[in-house]
Amino acid sequence: MPEVSFRPDGKVGAMDELTREFLIESQEGLDRMERCLTDLEERPQDAGLIGDIFRSVHTIKGTTGFLGFKRLEKLAHAGENLLGLLREGKLTADRQLITGLLQLLDGLRSILKTIEADSNEGAGVDDVLIGWLEELQAPARAQQPAHAMAGAQTSAAPSTEAKVALPPAAREPAHFKPVEPVSAPAVPASAAPASAVPVPAAQAPAAPAPAAQAPAAQAPAAPAEVVSEPARPRIQGSAAESTLRVDVTLLNRMMNLVGELVLTRNQVLQATSSDPSMTMLSRRLDMVTADLRESVMKARMQPVSNIFSKMPRIVRDLSQSLERRVRLQVEGQDTELDKSLLEAIKDPLTHAVRNSLDHGIELPEVRRAAGKDPEGTLLLKASQEGSHVVIEVSDDGAGVNVEKVRQKAIERGLITADNAAHMAERELLQLVFLPGFSTAAAVTNVSGRGVGMDVVRTNVEKIGGKVEIDSRAGMGTTLRMRIPLTLAIIPALIVRSINQSFALPQGSLSELVHIPPEQAASAIEWIENAPLYRLRGQLLPLIFLDRLLMPGVAHKLSTERDNFIAVLDADGRRFGLVVDGLADPEEIVVKPLSAVLKGIGLFSGATVLGNADLALILDPGSIAMKAGISMREEEATRSGDGESEAGAAKGSEYLLVEVAGRQAAVALADVLRIEQLPLSRIEYIGSRPVLNFEGQLLPVEDSGGVLAAVEGNPQAKIIVVVCRDGNRQVGIAVSHVLDVASGGDLFEAGTVQRAGGVTLLKSRVTGLVDLSSVTPLPGGEQAPAEWSQITETVA
Amino acid sequence: MEMCTVRLGSSIFGVPITHILEIVGAAKPQPVPLAPIFVGGLMHYRGDVLTTVSLRQLLDMPPKEGRQDLLVLESAGGIFGLLVDSVSEVLTVSSADYEPNPSILDERRALLFAGAYKLKDSLLVMLDPEQLDPMRLSATRAA
Repeated sequence: MPEVSFRPDGKVGAMDELTREFLIESQEGLDRMERCLTDLEERPQDAGLIGDIFRSVHTIKGTTGFLGFKRLEKLAHAGENLLGLLREGKLTADRQLITGLLQLLDGLRSILKTIEADSNEGAGVDDVLIGWLEELQAPARAQQPAHAMAGAQTSAAPSTEAKVALPPAAREPAHFKPVEPVSAPAVPASAAPASAVPVPAAQAPAAPAPAAQAPAAQAPAAPAEVVSEPARPRIQGSAAESTLRVDVTLLNRMMNLVGELVLTRNQVLQATSSDPSMTMLSRRLDMVTADLRESVMKARMQPVSNIFSKMPRIVRDLSQSLERRVRLQVEGQDTELDKSLLEAIKDPLTHAVRNSLDHGIELPEVRRAAGKDPEGTLLLKASQEGSHVVIEVSDDGAGVNVEKVRQKAIERGLITADNAAHMAERELLQLVFLPGFSTAAAVTNVSGRGVGMDVVRTNVEKIGGKVEIDSRAGMGTTLRMRIPLTLAIIPALIVRSINQSFALPQGSLSELVHIPPEQAASAIEWIENAPLYRLRGQLLPLIFLDRLLMPGVAHKLSTERDNFIAVLDADGRRFGLVVDGLADPEEIVVKPLSAVLKGIGLFSGATVLGNADLALILDPGSIAMKAGISMREEEATRSGDGESEAGAAKGSEYLLVEVAGRQAAVALADVLRIEQLPLSRIEYIGSRPVLNFEGQLLPVEDSGGVLAAVEGNPQAKIIVVVCRDGNRQVGIAVSHVLDVASGGDLFEAGTVQRAGGVTLLKSRVTGLVDLSSVTPLPGGEQAPAEWSQITETVA
Repeated sequence: MEMCTVRLGSSIFGVPITHILEIVGAAKPQPVPLAPIFVGGLMHYRGDVLTTVSLRQLLDMPPKEGRQDLLVLESAGGIFGLLVDSVSEVLTVSSADYEPNPSILDERRALLFAGAYKLKDSLLVMLDPEQLDPMRLSATRAA
């Protein structure tokens, strides 16, 4: 171990083992101290807590002297003095003191961070903070105890929340006035100018303090729903008995090695699959590898209390500066999650909590006026659901103002007014996740400008999770995050395209369809240039992977090759991915891709296959977005009559067509197929155009004059949409087929009558083609034999 | 200063060995569809998937069939690979022979080259590993 070389200026020669140990221990000690401090605020008389806190600071002070960290030593010393008085009962742990100690903690932390980064304490000066700590020791305050305590216990008027302006080290020292304990009016903390005067007065129970501290006259605070936790959220540190502290890098390395082992196992299994003598061995290798993998993954699991434990401090600080009264409740702290995933949701969680306090829970007066408990409740809940962990941040605040969301979204051009009118509340709520969205009337420093839910969603989705928001006006809001238990190894299907193998995560795969070349022409339908496949009555948009990956290069037509369609469902986008070939499913180890390649937007990672090839992992959601597949409307949002007329399929999907410059729509369920044929195929009975199709005569409706427009050119291609109308089939000649879209019902103003003959497609009122109005052919459908009779007559 | 020399066509370039983690001969990177032009592909390296940069493509030189060597480099941004035609010997160069980039260099080369060292009968152009990092390359491209 290299020697510690410390110089008078406090710099350490090299970041050696000793310093590193010191940093780790101290940071842990400070974390413990923070938890103790927030607990102390609820139980100011708890000598055990005071003792713990004193010891933390004392230990730090001791080691700093030895290591030569003068700045730390000075600061810790000031803290120790204050804590000494507290320990002797000469001072009370009122809010101001606690705040001071928290400031001390922040100060110590920041110096430790500097040491970690620069190997020296930095040039900052802590005189202001030290000065404040010394003032807190002032004898004048020592007379407070009795009054302050009494005040805390009997004061019932929450409006006497006194605010303490927190002077950060940079500001001028605050001046204390020795005051009598009064119900002082609230001093808004957010308006803290440099000369703010903190008012140490009798205070109502501090923010996270549950009502349990109030006089016994009040009913016990623990609400019925918090079953397993005590009324006071005691966030535990991790159990210390039979555990080991392991360097995270070592764990990551183990994870990597296990991953490599899994890949090698795959290769061995593949290479020996045909050798019967290897079967037993391979099986054993398989079992042991799987077991090892599970164990290593378990080693990386940590309880969510690790991140929940930061919350009491945040809630305390925020509720003070925002003048709210909030009780924090925690459930399911022991739920475990992979360490790296835990790290990833730390920020989103913090943000969600800040949001709840800022926009959710109302001011105490407002709550009382609404008949609610002036103290709001913030519930953090973690639970495991199958292969996911669900983390909820719930408040009983005002809920999201859906109307405001709707208006803001329209204002920002995120949705049109028409669409907005038809969106269910649930859908509108999810709009808050769109970037740049913020309905805060006054954007506060707390939740930030527009840095809102979209960041939460991005971060959660980055680790493969999902987030959604649920809210009830006046009652509260819940943010729910679903995180996969672990990321690294997933089951995948290997597919082939452009002579490469790709991995398709099985999570999004719902089924596989094989279309041999000879069936491709009839099975795959084309709308202009967009391929579709009708899967059990529903049209599935198709994406040809080879065309997506190598645009601009000619690829084999669907009629010249085997088409394998992987039906994928990713985040509400349903489509079929057409690939050249399928290989075996494999359990793959997800290796991260560099940001440069992630930026392509199609791949979520890479892996090494059983045959030692590298394969990129496809990201179905991104592929769908890139190809412009729109989201399926949720069934839940269908308002209006549950069962519409027979004509409209589930979800009221329509084929949008253009006829002579006007748009029209045909119910998709009525569409049998779309034909593109040369004009010469159209035959006439009298002046009625018809199509002879497999022995059936199809009247062709041409109100748009599409046929007339290309008269005289037998080769001209025309489009006929073949539809079913009751027992017969009719064809509609159109200029263009535009799209498939979901139609919304239009209601006659003032009634609940659905307007007939029109639908709302892509926010345009569109006429519905009335198939029944197509005049039947004389004599109905005719067999070919009779048809030839007629032609003779006509000709 | 010790430089590892690499060949690209008829030119030789130098990479300071301080940035080199390993040299892999006969590398076969896996192509990535739709990747930026300077990306040579992916390589499996010690348990990780490495993004490689093709020096040929970076310098707009025509593609070449046949064997390619790989330098595994470490920069501030992480580890990545540099694909070259072949890796040659390590030379020791002295600052006395150093010449800064000439002003006539185009913008891209001015960024990637960090001057040159006069050799007995040739010029060894020094590459700046930090600038070769794929993240940096995509950032400068976007700029």
